[in-house]
Amino acid sequence: MSKFKKDSGKSVPGVNTSSLPDIVFMLLFFFMVATTSKEVDPTVQVTQPVGGKTTDLTPYKQRSEIDFLYLGEPRNKARLEDFKMGYALSLDNVVQATADELYTTNAVGQWKKDKFEEKKSRVKVPIEGVITCLKADKGAPTGLIFDIRKELQAINALSIAYAVRDNGNI
Amino acid sequence: MAKREIPEINAGSMADIAFLLLIFFLVTTTMDKDQAYLRNIPKKIVTVTPPVDIEQRNILAIKANSQNQLMVRGEIMSDPNKISEKVVEFYRTNQKRNDVTNNFPMYSRVSSNVIQDNIRRIEIEIESLEAEGAVAEMIEFKYSQMDEWDKKKKSLKLYGGNELPEIQFQANIRIEVQDATEYGLFAKIQTEIEEAIYELRNDEVKRIFGEDYQTIKTRYAQDQVNADKDKLNLLEILYPARIIEVTPKK
Repeated sequence: MSKFKKDSGKSVPGVNTSSLPDIVFMLLFFFMVATTSKEVDPTVQVTQPVGGKTTDLTPYKQRSEIDFLYLGEPRNKARLEDFKMGYALSLDNVVQATADELYTTNAVGQWKKDKFEEKKSRVKVPIEGVITCLKADKGAPTGLIFDIRKELQAINALSIAYAVRDNGNI
Repeated sequence: MAKREIPEINAGSMADIAFLLLIFFLVTTTMDKDQAYLRNIPKKIVTVTPPVDIEQRNILAIKANSQNQLMVRGEIMSDPNKISEKVVEFYRTNQKRNDVTNNFPMYSRVSSNVIQDNIRRIEIEIESLEAEGAVAEMIEFKYSQMDEWDKKKKSLKLYGGNELPEIQFQANIRIEVQDATEYGLFAKIQTEIEEAIYELRNDEVKRIFGEDYQTIKTRYAQDQVNADKDKLNLLEILYPARIIEVTPKK
């Protein structure tokens, strides 16, 4: 008398995969809804400093009340010495050609004004309320940040946001 | 004619298509949120008036030089994590009781009678201004003053008791950096200030309402309930964040 049944030679039935597309689609929709796509791949390298107790800018971004400005080391190392203290400003992926250009032509002010003109009809806030978010490298000199501030002040764009990486839970 | 049977569509490759899409979205998206410190740039002034003298006790100066060394209220500080303690000390020292001998900002205590008197006074002023046919801006300014007192009235009711402790209106935190100071340190100073103010407000809000400051803030951002707005106003009156970023000299 054996306790175990002998292999009767029955073959294992194949796994039914007809619901696999459903599962995958569910995952797909989750990722489509939950993520925001990167707007630009900046031409400057930015390593943000770490901070805490920050404001989440997502609601402003959804209302497109925000413009991003990148300040970091240019990826094109050959042009490194063209820039003030080795850092360059990226406005909509256009790296400012030389440091002088930034100051003589008021590039930041002009850029911000153009941006505002373009979305004026959609956004219901005056220029004072349209945030300029500055994503700066942690090694960038603060002098440059205050230069940018001054240009924004000149055109009355008075909201600024200093971006950091937040590790805390939100 | 014989009826032809419609062949079934083979859905076996559906999973492959979906996987392909899934992987595309996985690769092209980033999960990180945009986190930042929101600040206001002061309006550009056309006519320059001589600066007002501010008592030393009302200033919390955080200085950073081009070598990234820190100085808080005249003391050299090697550990930037201690800035928040200084900020908390700045707000707390005289909050319960004023002491003229120390070097911290004074508090004034506003009673409900003072608030009522001020509201009545401004009401009368507005009436007379409207009768005179004064400039619209002047009347608007008076209305904004009225709003301020109204906020205080509501805040006092929430705070309980007879008096609302209010820090000297000139008390401010100023960040003084130099041209070559690294942004990392500047951001660290901002973080420390923000954390200190969060701590102060959170302690107060927990004591009064038994809720987290963050909870109220997030709820207000979502639902815009007036009761939450009043709570946030109270906290802003108790611990105002007046941060001045001083432009470095060339």
